[in-house]
Amino acid sequence: MAHVGLIVNPSAGRDIRRLTGGASVVDNYAKRRVAECVLDGLSLAGEFPSVAVMPDKTGIASHAIAEAPTKMDIEPVEMPIKESAADTRRAAAHFRESADVVVVLGGDGTSRDAALELGDVPLVSVSTGTNNVVPTPVDGTVAGAAAAAVANDAVDGDAVTYRHGRIDVRADDVTGEKRLSGLATVGIIDRSFVGTRAVIDPSELLGGVVSRAHPAAIGLTSVAGCIEPLAPNAPGGAALRLGDPDETDRSVRAVLAPGMTTTVGIEAHEPLDWDEPATFAVTDGVVGADGERELELTDAIVSITPTADGPRLVDVDTALEAAAAAGSLVSSETPIGDR
Amino acid sequence: MEDYTLDTEDGRLEALRRMLTIREFDTKAGEYFADGEIPGFVHLYIGEEAVGVGTCAALEPDDYITSTHRGHGHCIAKGLDTKLMMAELFGKRSGYCNGKGGSMHIADVDAGMLGANGIVGAGPPLATGAALSIDYQDRDQVALAFLGDGAVAQGQVHEAVNMASTWDLPAIFLVENNKYGEATPVEKQHNVKQLSDTAQAYDIPGVTVDGMDVTAVTEAVEEARKRARAGDGPTMIEAETYRYNGHYEGDEQNYRDEEEVAQWKERDAIESFKERLLDRGELTEAEFGELQAEVEDEIADAVEYAQNSDLPEPEEAYEDMFSESVPEVEQFASRLRTDGGSSRGDSQ
Repeated sequence: MAHVGLIVNPSAGRDIRRLTGGASVVDNYAKRRVAECVLDGLSLAGEFPSVAVMPDKTGIASHAIAEAPTKMDIEPVEMPIKESAADTRRAAAHFRESADVVVVLGGDGTSRDAALELGDVPLVSVSTGTNNVVPTPVDGTVAGAAAAAVANDAVDGDAVTYRHGRIDVRADDVTGEKRLSGLATVGIIDRSFVGTRAVIDPSELLGGVVSRAHPAAIGLTSVAGCIEPLAPNAPGGAALRLGDPDETDRSVRAVLAPGMTTTVGIEAHEPLDWDEPATFAVTDGVVGADGERELELTDAIVSITPTADGPRLVDVDTALEAAAAAGSLVSSETPIGDR
Repeated sequence: MEDYTLDTEDGRLEALRRMLTIREFDTKAGEYFADGEIPGFVHLYIGEEAVGVGTCAALEPDDYITSTHRGHGHCIAKGLDTKLMMAELFGKRSGYCNGKGGSMHIADVDAGMLGANGIVGAGPPLATGAALSIDYQDRDQVALAFLGDGAVAQGQVHEAVNMASTWDLPAIFLVENNKYGEATPVEKQHNVKQLSDTAQAYDIPGVTVDGMDVTAVTEAVEEARKRARAGDGPTMIEAETYRYNGHYEGDEQNYRDEEEVAQWKERDAIESFKERLLDRGELTEAEFGELQAEVEDEIADAVEYAQNSDLPEPEEAYEDMFSESVPEVEQFASRLRTDGGSSRGDSQ
């Protein structure tokens, strides 16, 4: 029997951008319902897979399990709950050994935490966070259906997944070497502390590296995308150095956060190959990954490198198109979900 | 009140000093309560220092705060005098309320501290009222209510937040989610698990921040203050934090295990802020030692001041209650003076 892992981050979607930008609130009730939809969707393509859910203290996992389709073999992952990103990482590490596909509900931060532990296990990333570059804004039921198609081998896994890039950071500052990884973006922010973690003032963004770029994205990927789009599975990345738009030769209007359109001055845009680092000097700032400030640095040299070994993401549309083309969605028998 | 903000090196050192002062004050308060020198109850703020200090660092000196039963930290963060605070805890006439309020009723209106409060959830209505006065008089201030996770379920908190949001008042509701309402875990008090979600019911922003990181708390309050001053109304901020001690001193704490307490102490707000200032080269271990010694001296002085102060006389029991004379109170007071207060009104 195929096995599906489900991770719902109870903390995603509550950061400061509800106050500073136009980000909407996704409360736990909504997350619970999306999780229930994912489980329902798993009945769409082939046999019910068995499911394991990351536990949490907010009741999302226990409600999802209680409301799951009656014939579904579903249980929580046995693990301690730390109520932090460590939970997502621990659950993902467990799924790396046990799951055929993993569905993650959260934002870019949650997707990154899961992706860095998942290895080659295909990931369906569903948006419930704030700055969503990596996750797909898709209905949970449809995401569950795509996950089932992949888990049950109803489609060719290689054909419906793509390898996302990853960005590795090495910073040497007065206290020694620090490391960090991101999926879509690594940014350098002109603020001393991690504080509320989100980037709340666009003028503080000094630059960084993206592994993908599109003008329809949000954040640094939007800035890079206004200059030269880069597909998520395209090789390499791009380094950006930003400045005061009154002083740089060119500038772009980009979406830096929901409800926060800004003119950004471009000092430099440099395409990067896989494993080609871009170097930045930071005297007093923070390096952030995928929309969250992470590393406080003083007098640091920061080396940021796009690499090829990111997660294997399921393209939901492609997966379901392939399932339909293979006839997996048509049956002469009573559908399993209605039995 | 001396102004301080985390935007400057001096301000960061002042914030660290205040966090240390809170911890030392409450450590001593716990000790003298255990010894029986401090009467009544004390509820200690140890572990939650980053919330009070991060909040007050983002406020202006003349902004108002309202506090809770666990209010010593708010007072120190807002700049109140530790001598007068300690004397109040000891029930001495030299205290903030002439020794008649004790730990749960310290107030200093001149410093913008509108009062600790023994009633859970009674602070927010005061803050909404203060915010209304600011709005009415068109002053450049905000009113911030500290409240606990337990208070979020109180009816008057709903009334206060609803009125503040309906009238776009310059208020901030700072929920200190220390994970327990007395002995009850937060998840057994509320169906809503992330308390900032309740802000949606009032159509105001609700954000959750790491209450063990002073930089996170201050940033959120700065943004909420800007919003309030722009006339956009109140904000709810939930700071996730933890009290290291029991609900009150003497609490057996059989509702939580040592491992959980140890897990939170690993994220100690003072330790992490100190480490970051060391990393930034803004503090040395030697300077930290001096700072700690200064704080210990200050609190030792406060204890000495309290111990050497006089208790109020029984005859003063009805004084300091109302700003203007109230006949009924005068009547009680005169009876107390003539017969020690033993006669009842029906004998007249």
